[in-house]
Parts: sequence; structure tokens; C-alpha cells
Amino acid sequence: MAPADLALALTALACLGLRLAGVWLAGGMSAEHPAIAWATAVAQATLAAFVALAIAAPSGALAEVPLAARLAGFGVGAAAVVTLRGRLLPALLAGLAAMLAVRFLVV
Amino acid sequence: MSTPSAFLPGLREAIGAPGVAMAATFCAFGAAVQEAGLGPGWALLACWGIYGMPGQLVLVQSAAAGWAGGVGAAVMGAVAVNARFLPMAVSIAPVLAARERWRLLPAVPFIAVTPWAAAMRALPAIAPAARVSWFLGFGLTSWVVAGSAALAGYFIAGGLGAEARAALLFVNPLYYGLLLAADFGRPAPRRAVLCGAVAASLALLVPASMALLAAGVAGGTVAFLLGRRHGAR
Repeated sequence: MAPADLALALTALACLGLRLAGVWLAGGMSAEHPAIAWATAVAQATLAAFVALAIAAPSGALAEVPLAARLAGFGVGAAAVVTLRGRLLPALLAGLAAMLAVRFLVV
Repeated sequence: MSTPSAFLPGLREAIGAPGVAMAATFCAFGAAVQEAGLGPGWALLACWGIYGMPGQLVLVQSAAAGWAGGVGAAVMGAVAVNARFLPMAVSIAPVLAARERWRLLPAVPFIAVTPWAAAMRALPAIAPAARVSWFLGFGLTSWVVAGSAALAGYFIAGGLGAEARAALLFVNPLYYGLLLAADFGRPAPRRAVLCGAVAASLALLVPASMALLAAGVAGGTVAFLLGRRHGAR
């Protein structure tokens, strides 16, 4: 088996195992159980850390977008989603437009 | 009287902002796969089998480097950056409210950031008996969007400049950031988001493959303990 195929198969199996283990661990617990509240907090914090790193210190191709453009995109998008009472699509487009506009001005 | 299926509402929900964010991200992924010298079938199977972008990118970067660190190291890195699937599955299982645990099995492959975040937002307003079908509608649609976008990205890779790819990649964290911002008015998510953002600085101290997991566990645990101390949710 080629290394790429082997790596893909092993990773897919491990990720499926993580998902199955989570569902099994949750068992018959209610959404109010402290373990569920902890797991939810960990998942939300992980997502927040991912966003923080992607905005403040990205790697790869995203690093080619200037910091000012990334911050402007996120700032405008967040302000729009609050102003528009949680409507994600227009907020997403506003944030993307702001990022592209600032990148055009900075670069 | 039986509860009507929520499959179609879930499908419709996935086509809006989540669909745009996923299409952009997976399009950029398809282009990266093509550049790494892997095939379109590999791109499609990576989307559907792993269904977690950070882990997918770890494998693509390893392939581009000729598997210099070995397949084992690449797999461990990919699994470590996708370890968030475990707490996400733990937290969403009771929200899906299936009477028997085996009824959750069809939903398991779709537990990933985008469906999880959308479901945690939408499911409390949906009848418990209809929640699994809503999640399946959302998850299956997301899968189709992800796979199609990856293939499109693979075949138009040559026409995408580095800047266009960077813009596509920015859509993904922006979308997640907006999801978190939309929830910022509630105390428990606000604590978790603030603690997670602060804990992201752990990336300076631990290896990159472990940084997200470490930040999530540390930030989430502090947020959880603060919530218990204040007696608020």
C-alpha cells in the first residue's frame, strides 16, 4: 500500500474511533451533566483557540494575508453578526469583503 | 402522532453560510492535494474519511515533503490536531437525544466542527425525536459540498494563485469566529471562548500538533471551573 493511502486509512480509522468513543462515553448522560458541560467547554475553547491562532498567527498560505486584513475581516464580520442578530451568511460576506479591501490597501 | 422528519430543514441549513465556508475551505484543500502530487480520489476520500481540515492538511503537508518524518508521525500529528472530535462527540450525543445509543451510529461520521457548531445552535429549538434526522440532513449535505468543492479545487488548482487560495482559507476561521461571536451573549460559551483564545498562547510552548488540543483542554477546563464557581451556565 502506498504511504499516502496507508496514512489516510489509519487517520480515518483513528478519527472514527475518536467520534465513536465520544458517543460511547456520553452514554445516557443528560445535557446538564457536569461531564457534558466540561466536554462542551473544551470543544468551544478548542474552536476559539483555532480561530485565535488562524487570525493572529496562521501558518501556510493564510500567513500571506496581512495581519491587518485578517483582523479587519474578523472585526467587521463579528460586528455584523451581532448587529444582524446572528445572521451568518451576510456577516461572512461582510467580513470577507473587509479582509479583501484591507489587503488591497495594505499590499 | 409521529414527529415530522427534520432532514430537509437540516439540509437547507447546511446550504447557507456553512456551505459557503466549507466550499471555500475544501476548494483550497483540493488545490493543495493536487500540488502535493496526490490523486483526486485521495482528496475525496480524505474529505469523507477524515472530515477534519487540520488533520487533512497535516497529511497533505507530509505527502508534499515525501513522508520525510514517516507515515506514523504524520498519522499521529493528524489525529492529534483532530482530537477535538472526542469532546465534540461527548457534548453533542445528549443534545441529539436519541432514545437508544445505536440510533446515533449513522450520525457519527458527521461529527466535525461545522455540523457540531450548527447543531449545538439549532437543535435546542427542534423536537428531540427529529434531531438525529436534522443532523443527518446537515451532515450529508456538508459531506457532498466538501467532496464536490475539493474535486473542483483539485481540477482548477492551476488557475488559483497563492493569494486566492489564502482568501479561500480565510473563510473557514472567519466562519468559525462568527459562530462563536453569535453565541457570545450567553455566559458559558463566552467563558469558553475567552479562555480558549487566551490558552491559544500555549502554541508558543508546545509542539504545533499538540497546541490546539492543549489549548482546548486547558481553556475549556478553566472555563468549566469558573462556571461552577459562579454557579452559572
